[in-house]
Amino acid sequence: MVVRLVDAGSVSGLRSQSIYHGLAYAQTNSTANTVVLAVPEDPYLCIGYFQDVGKELNLAYCERHQLPIVRRETGGGCVYIDRNQLFVQWIFQAGFLPRKVEQWFRVFNQPLIETYKFFGIEAYHFSINDVHAGGKKIVGTGAATIGEAEVVTGNFIFNFNSEHMTQALMVPNNMYREYLSEGLKKYISSFHHELGYLPDPAEVKRVYVQNVEKTLGVRLQPDAFTDAEYQAMEQVERQFEKKEWVEMIHSEGHRERLVKIHAGVWLGYMETEKNGHCVSALIQMIDDRIDRLFISNREGTEGCWETGELEQKLVGQPMKEEVVRSIVVAEFDAMKQSPLDIDEWVHLIMKIKISQQKMSGYG
Amino acid sequence: MAHEKINGCVILKDLHYAVEDNTWVRKNDDGTVTVGMTDVAQNLAGPILHAKAKGAGTGRKKGKPIATVESGKWVGPVKSPINGEIIAVNEALASDAQLINRSPYDKGWVVKMKSEDLAADLSALVFGEDAITAYKAKIERDKIQACNHIEGSDTYA
Repeated sequence: MVVRLVDAGSVSGLRSQSIYHGLAYAQTNSTANTVVLAVPEDPYLCIGYFQDVGKELNLAYCERHQLPIVRRETGGGCVYIDRNQLFVQWIFQAGFLPRKVEQWFRVFNQPLIETYKFFGIEAYHFSINDVHAGGKKIVGTGAATIGEAEVVTGNFIFNFNSEHMTQALMVPNNMYREYLSEGLKKYISSFHHELGYLPDPAEVKRVYVQNVEKTLGVRLQPDAFTDAEYQAMEQVERQFEKKEWVEMIHSEGHRERLVKIHAGVWLGYMETEKNGHCVSALIQMIDDRIDRLFISNREGTEGCWETGELEQKLVGQPMKEEVVRSIVVAEFDAMKQSPLDIDEWVHLIMKIKISQQKMSGYG
Repeated sequence: MAHEKINGCVILKDLHYAVEDNTWVRKNDDGTVTVGMTDVAQNLAGPILHAKAKGAGTGRKKGKPIATVESGKWVGPVKSPINGEIIAVNEALASDAQLINRSPYDKGWVVKMKSEDLAADLSALVFGEDAITAYKAKIERDKIQACNHIEGSDTYA
């Protein structure tokens, strides 16, 4: 079987998104399955279909740095994209990939993993859809059914600018931004980070194409986009540039925040208000354990109350209600002027776990 | 409720199905229909995080999206099984989209619609034992693995 390969080369940021949408919408029964390679030449922020741009992004920063915002029709969270990433996009006829979405990612990730391995990076499939190397995420993926087509997208990360990502995301306070910055540096990887140099993109493409052929048991045939596909891309771009498309989703307003740094690392900020006090908890959760915890008032400074050793005792503990409760109970008497009772403390801490379950769909 | 489990996937016998699009239609007493995703569909998608239906008053041709759902990192359409107009959407899905996983045939319904020609629409769908036969064939042909049911799902003995 032959699968079409289109190396689109360097394209605008918007085009790097519109290609796979356009190809999907232009797909007919006779369109060949298509693999696309593309490098976005200018940086942008890309939000998931269901994300609220006003809640996710620091719009003033994006405007100041002329970072366009594109809402895509695939799932997942906000990502910063620039020319240091090589997009790989599969636009397939329905039925070619396995039926279960989780299995799409297994198939899609395999040639990415093999390619990283070719360059000496021990990459592996992690959780539902991630590719990791040494505990760090090294591929971002997304999937969708667009029109009749089944689409999976991902990217080789050659280098990662965590600064733009950190500054562009909406955060509740400066300490959260600090934790986020550290998390992105620590848990997102790249060719450069792993190897200390940048491999030749042409060589990465060559190895990747070979690995796709091996994974799918097909031959990739170099080809070009058709006129109809270009027209579909342009139509998608007109839609994506509309303000009402970018601002399509509005969620209920609150300051609470949860960012998935990768499938095992979550950074959350939760609040509880009582008797004029706003108590907040900033928690970094790694593999369902509390890795870092800072309890404060809304402004991100310590409150007029004292939490004693509650924070230190909770760090390192599993995010399980019975464990959290037992520690809160043990520490409660030592806390001075606690604005919250035991149940409220437990609820505040556990809210992050509950939000993570809602965001990931898995308990 | 009369049903059959095929590879763990529940198919109710009193519903009309668009098997290829994995949607179901329930005929209501007032002449409208309720539409939702099947147990097979929720299983293939995985835990659903978001669901957004087109608004009431939207006209839809068969096969066109009546809602968009996100599960994990996949986004996809729920396709209309009939030609008609959306008259109500399940507002509960906005805050708890996993109702589709836990209760695909009941609390997780997606929209209610008024058909342009209900008799014609229903005749193009499969019902009862025909639906069971069609799903058996589909599950075998598409190599669909056993359906998973998350905690709190409706039970069918």
